[in-house]
Amino acid sequence: MKEIYVDLINIRRKVFAEIARIAYNDMDLSEIERIPYYIIPGEVAKYRENIFRERAIVEERLRLTLGLNVRSLKEFTKVTDGIDSIDVDKMVLDLPLVNVIKFACEACPDRAVIVTDNCRKCLAHPCTNVCPVNAVSIGKNRALIDKEKCIRCGKCKENCPYNAIIEYHRPCSQVCGVNAIESDELGRAKINDKKCVSCGRCITQCPFGAIADKSQIYQLIKALKTNDHMYAIIAPSFVGQFGLLVSPSQIFEGIKLLGFKDVVEVGLGADITTLNEAKEFLEKVPNEYPYMGTSCCNSWTLMVEKMFPDQYKYISDSASPMVETAKYIKRIDPEAIVTFIGPCISKKLEALREEVKDYVHFVITFEELMGMFVGKGIELSEIEVDKEIQDASILGRGFAAAGGVAEAVKKTAQMLDPSREILIESASNLHDCVKLMRIAKAGKKNGYLLEGMACPGGCIAGPGTLASIDRVRKALAQFMNQSKYNTPLENNNICKL
Amino acid sequence: MKVKVCMGSNCTLLGAMNILDQVEDLKDLISENEDYRDDELDIDVVKCLGYCKGESRNVSPVVVVDDEVICNATSQIVMEKIMKKLRK
Repeated sequence: MKEIYVDLINIRRKVFAEIARIAYNDMDLSEIERIPYYIIPGEVAKYRENIFRERAIVEERLRLTLGLNVRSLKEFTKVTDGIDSIDVDKMVLDLPLVNVIKFACEACPDRAVIVTDNCRKCLAHPCTNVCPVNAVSIGKNRALIDKEKCIRCGKCKENCPYNAIIEYHRPCSQVCGVNAIESDELGRAKINDKKCVSCGRCITQCPFGAIADKSQIYQLIKALKTNDHMYAIIAPSFVGQFGLLVSPSQIFEGIKLLGFKDVVEVGLGADITTLNEAKEFLEKVPNEYPYMGTSCCNSWTLMVEKMFPDQYKYISDSASPMVETAKYIKRIDPEAIVTFIGPCISKKLEALREEVKDYVHFVITFEELMGMFVGKGIELSEIEVDKEIQDASILGRGFAAAGGVAEAVKKTAQMLDPSREILIESASNLHDCVKLMRIAKAGKKNGYLLEGMACPGGCIAGPGTLASIDRVRKALAQFMNQSKYNTPLENNNICKL
Repeated sequence: MKVKVCMGSNCTLLGAMNILDQVEDLKDLISENEDYRDDELDIDVVKCLGYCKGESRNVSPVVVVDDEVICNATSQIVMEKIMKKLRK
């Protein structure tokens, strides 16, 4: 999460907390009409040119959080339209997952190189001399860049002695690693769903908060109120997310207070995935597969499926830690309804897959979970608990940070077959993932285990996080060291299976 | 000078960790700047102070600088107060 975008974050999170409050208190859903007045109080606009628009955007956020589609300005619709369809206790996810709130989008122009007021129209004017397409000339007051000719190489920018030339980006499209952001007829962002892999980077980067994903917290809370077989599984990046005074055990107990029967670390599933991927790698590379890609990041595997369909078969067949953890619970309680709690929104899509949908029934983010704690009035730091969490090995917990997956698979594979040397390479943002796949496709990564993660730094930097990556990285290192199992091979929980 | 950053559920939801990150970064900033006293900044993280449990729900995040309670705290307001007090 881009933590510094405080105003945006607070609006989003207040919406989560309010929807959770309505769900826990069994309030009528027509209550959502009041919430924009609570979140945007008073008569004077604070963020935009008028308060009506500010409140209308909150209404769209409320709709998305309830699982409804965004409305079109073209036709008359009430904020509550369609509400009966989502007032249920089962997961509702009407695609697309990632949506542009059209009237929140300010239609930022595309990438350009522009001359600013800093230009002193100097005699040397290196900007003109270095331009490979002769697009820069000296005008009456400053240098001018011919937009038709400019190829946006940035050479003029690099050479200006006054830093007068800047490169301007559209934040959503700059951060998108798969070029999925296009423009509609009014220049507003439009997501090409054929290209989008739902990594959520655009959601975190848009400075106007115009992009949002759908949530399932309302339906989840309804299910928690009626079903006794609700289980939560939580991704290893959860440590440090819920405030500095809260221990991992307190977080687990807090989740139970929300109505869950039990909580299991997804690190346990990561241990199973590690064992599977290690065996798969030893068996198939290099004879069947030239290289093997990891399978745990859904946006990475979706990217490979969409952009490199002929290479998709070299992505590991092993199920992701989310799925393995859910299967583990299903073995213990066949009636289990499993909720994955993580930093990730792409997992919301993974849960819809044919081979996953019977195991994972809800997916929410840490941010949404925090909204639930607040909605139900739970103070995590006040919870008394002396239990220790020991579901996963050090390596399984390490999946949360970039490099952790490849490291775990490599170490485990070498323990299974010490004679094998295993080469690994990791990419941890979608741009780099695409580059890595291009190189792999060209045959230059044969024999490698390739780890792809869509978020910069790994899951600890996912779009659904609350704490800064530095804080979580430290907390994760500490949590890893508290595990009594060094590797998945020592993990008693999975040996029992 | 004592700075208490509330880390209750409400305040954590609404950016208390970001305020803490930024206030902690001040230590580096003032240690390099002779105009400020850098030995007096004492930052503490505290459990829910209870202000949000009163009549108004709209008070988080809460930060206390010495005896002054700042509701709906933003990092810039908190940092400005601290910097003013630490100026030699």
